[in-house]
This record gives sequence, structure tokens and C-alpha cells, in this order.
Amino acid sequence: MGLGFMVGVLGVLFLFHAAYSTIQGLLKIMEEEFSGPPMNLLLGFVFCISAALTVPGYFLSIHPDSEENRIVSLSANLDFMIFNHRAKALPLETDMKLKH
Amino acid sequence: MAGHSDSSSSEKKSSEAMNDVPTFSTENMQNNMKVIYYSRTFMSIIGGVIAGILGFTGFMGFIFYFLVMAITSIGLIAKAKFSVHLYFDSWNRIILDGFMGGLMSFVLFWTFAYDIVHIF
Repeated sequence: MGLGFMVGVLGVLFLFHAAYSTIQGLLKIMEEEFSGPPMNLLLGFVFCISAALTVPGYFLSIHPDSEENRIVSLSANLDFMIFNHRAKALPLETDMKLKH
Repeated sequence: MAGHSDSSSSEKKSSEAMNDVPTFSTENMQNNMKVIYYSRTFMSIIGGVIAGILGFTGFMGFIFYFLVMAITSIGLIAKAKFSVHLYFDSWNRIILDGFMGGLMSFVLFWTFAYDIVHIF
């Protein structure tokens, strides 16, 4: 997440640099077609598209019987936690030994 | 009540297309749609800025938008490891979703960048 974000910021900075160069007249884009500016723009575009594909997160499988969907965890909601159940009626002695 | 087992985090939704109903988890589906939406919106904005810097006017800009969207679609399909049926229920979602909304953002940033860079 952090690395993808930095890559995206870097790509946007490349685009800003290309825009600034175009304003200053260093890159005459309107006359030439494919020589100088696409290097900056292409690099910025590649960085931005790699950030756009990694930052939002992963795809999750939608089949309920896939490997990563096997374990379903309930939300840690206090309303569903039961602390007062019948286990206290079980005869559980801590020093119980096997009778032989 | 305590023994009632239900999977509360993934709700099942069935498509009524055929008798053998395939069920899928809508929470994961929504997460995947959100990922696609974020990616497409960001790439529309970046495409608009690039189109403005390059000085596209008129129809060439829209051609460039389709090109950027096609590259984004290919990138998303590659992110899904080329097995789209694992993450989505139809091909339309990964190819066409977010197209029109992205178009609005693209035109906005296209005119914005063009004004700043070329008209000043």
C-alpha cells in the first residue's frame, strides 16, 4: 500500500514535470509527434498505471468454496458472545485422575 | 440459538439464470467492483492530464481515452490472473464498468490540463 502510493505520487510528479517543460517551451509537443515528450510522459504513465493497479487492493475470490473463503469469521460483536452458558454444570474437577 | 451456524460475513446471492444456481459472495464481489472503480477513475484522470499535456483536440482525445481504458482493462485482467470467472460473474464487469463515469472525469481533467499547459 505504501509503496504503490509512492509509485503513484512519483508518476504524477513525472507528469507535472512534463507539463512544466511543455509550458516553458522546452518540449515543443505541438510540432513534433513522437520524440522528446513521450519519454517523460510515458514514464509517468507507466508509473501511474502500476500504482492504479496495486493501490486499491487485491481481488477476492467470489466462490464460496474456494481455498481462501473456507474460514468464515464472524464479526467480533459483543452481542453474539456468550459467556453465561451451561458448561458450569459439567463436572470438571481440576485434579481428576484416571481411575484404574 | 447458540448452535445455529450461519456464515454472516459472506451473504449468498444466487443468479436466477439457470436451475443450477451458482452462488457467490456479494461482499467479495463488491470489493472487486470497488477495486475496478478506483483503478478506472484514477486512470481516467491520469489519461485526461496526459491528453491535455499532449495537446489533443477533438476526436483524437476520445480515441486516446478508449486507448487508456483498453490498457486499464488489460491491466485489470492481468491483475485477475486471467481467470476472470474466479472474481466476477461476467466479463462485462471487468471490461465495461466505470466507462461512462470515467469519461466525465477524463474530459474534465483533459480540458483543465490543456488550458493550463497550452493556453495558460
